[in-house]
Amino acid sequence: MKILEVKELHARYSASGPEILKGISFAVEDDDFFAIIGPSGAGKSTLIRCINRLVDPTSGVIIFDTRSVTTLSCKGLKLLRRDIGMIFQEFNLINRMSVMDNVLSGRLGYTGNLRTLFRSFRRDDIDHALQLLERVGLIDHVDKRADELSGGQRQRVGIARALMQNPKLLLVDEPTSALDPKISREVMGLIKQMATELKVPCLCNIHDVDLAKEFCNKIIGLQDGVKMFDGLTEDMDQGKLDEIYAMEVL
Amino acid sequence: MNNKATNTSPPRITSQVILDRRRSARMIMAVVYLVLLALVVWSVQVTVIEDTDWNRLGGFGKVWEATNRFIGLDIALFPNLIKPAIETLMIACLGTLLGVILCVPAAWFGALNITPFKPVTYPLARMMMTLSRSIHEIVWALFFVSAVGLGALAGIFAIAVRSVGFIAKMSAEAIEDIDPGPVEAIRAVGGNDFQVVIYAILPQVLPQVLGVIIFEWEINIRRSAILGLVGAGGLGLVFFRQMNTFNFHGVMSVIVAILGLILIGEALSHWARRSII
Repeated sequence: MKILEVKELHARYSASGPEILKGISFAVEDDDFFAIIGPSGAGKSTLIRCINRLVDPTSGVIIFDTRSVTTLSCKGLKLLRRDIGMIFQEFNLINRMSVMDNVLSGRLGYTGNLRTLFRSFRRDDIDHALQLLERVGLIDHVDKRADELSGGQRQRVGIARALMQNPKLLLVDEPTSALDPKISREVMGLIKQMATELKVPCLCNIHDVDLAKEFCNKIIGLQDGVKMFDGLTEDMDQGKLDEIYAMEVL
Repeated sequence: MNNKATNTSPPRITSQVILDRRRSARMIMAVVYLVLLALVVWSVQVTVIEDTDWNRLGGFGKVWEATNRFIGLDIALFPNLIKPAIETLMIACLGTLLGVILCVPAAWFGALNITPFKPVTYPLARMMMTLSRSIHEIVWALFFVSAVGLGALAGIFAIAVRSVGFIAKMSAEAIEDIDPGPVEAIRAVGGNDFQVVIYAILPQVLPQVLGVIIFEWEINIRRSAILGLVGAGGLGLVFFRQMNTFNFHGVMSVIVAILGLILIGEALSHWARRSII
């Protein structure tokens, strides 16, 4: 079943600025682990941010789970974002809060303002948070402040926060560029494992082609806002890679 | 059969523990807020309820009548306000400028990462900043009026000395927060301390420091507008005279002039901020 369908997506940041996405179309099935690869500046982050409307596309259609993303009301947008988890390059944790509070913040879409003010989360949510922290290996760091953790640990908090939402789709934006190669592989492995286990499809920006080939079953290749490749990982060969990264050589 | 006898890891944290902990944290916050509320009530009791001369205050009508005397302008006074207004502006500008000059050593000595001799220069600079800020500008003005006599010079000194505290403190903190990378790079090419300041520190703190100076200058316009109350020149002197002769409309005119001056100051500072930073 298709969980996400994108048709003819165009995006630019200002009317006079350059067009970042030039008519991208693709579809994500509900058991996909998609990699989006391409040189920096190709529009990978913009593409992923259009899907939960952190960036508003200028034209095109996005259908997520039967909802038309581009025409949602303010309320509808919040409900949409609740269903889409996001993992960030720079983790985007609330540094001055504890690991527990950071993970619980994944539930804010389901929590009223009064409960938010008193940080009074439901027992189910706390149970869930503890389970996730156990799974990502941070159960002994529950009370630590987020900024006391190492990079890899912080990204694990980011993963737990995204999974707290019980998402129907995970958007993953360069999860490993702030990490060293060994930790990168561990973090990608963890995302892959959790996604498989919880049956969440993933859309993952990643500039490291080896990691993409190792963990993802499908690949989209972007170059300068244009889709150059879309298919199974097995079908990606050196020739196609060279084509995608051609501009970088120049 | 000693399975996991040596495993002494602490028991896994439970949701109950977290819930309980959060509940007690909320209780503590509730107590803190109650104490704060009690303090407010107590302060109102002492300062407002007991300390006000309720008999003299009379009813709302009397309060209105007393306030009403101020409503209205003494138009004839305005031409006489131009010179003092310009003087006020000049006191603010010169005072700020002198303050900035005094700030150079204060910020240099007061930033932990570049202070020349920490045990002496750092406390010295911090003491200067605290002294400057803990004494009110009116008190500084009184002090300088007795030192250099009545007139604008006393106002300029008062403003300058009062400005050091804030500008130097913010600048020193900006210097302490710089990225050490460029400093390392300039040292690595064989630069001396002066070159490190000019190349690695100044460019990093300049926008922040300029912003603080402009902000302080804007505040100084307000300050210099009242310094005349103690004989240190500017609009405050006229204000004081109008008040003493019970010309309440004249008082209002001076207030309008001060307001105008401050608006001009804000417009200028907005423009300066945008063009510099």
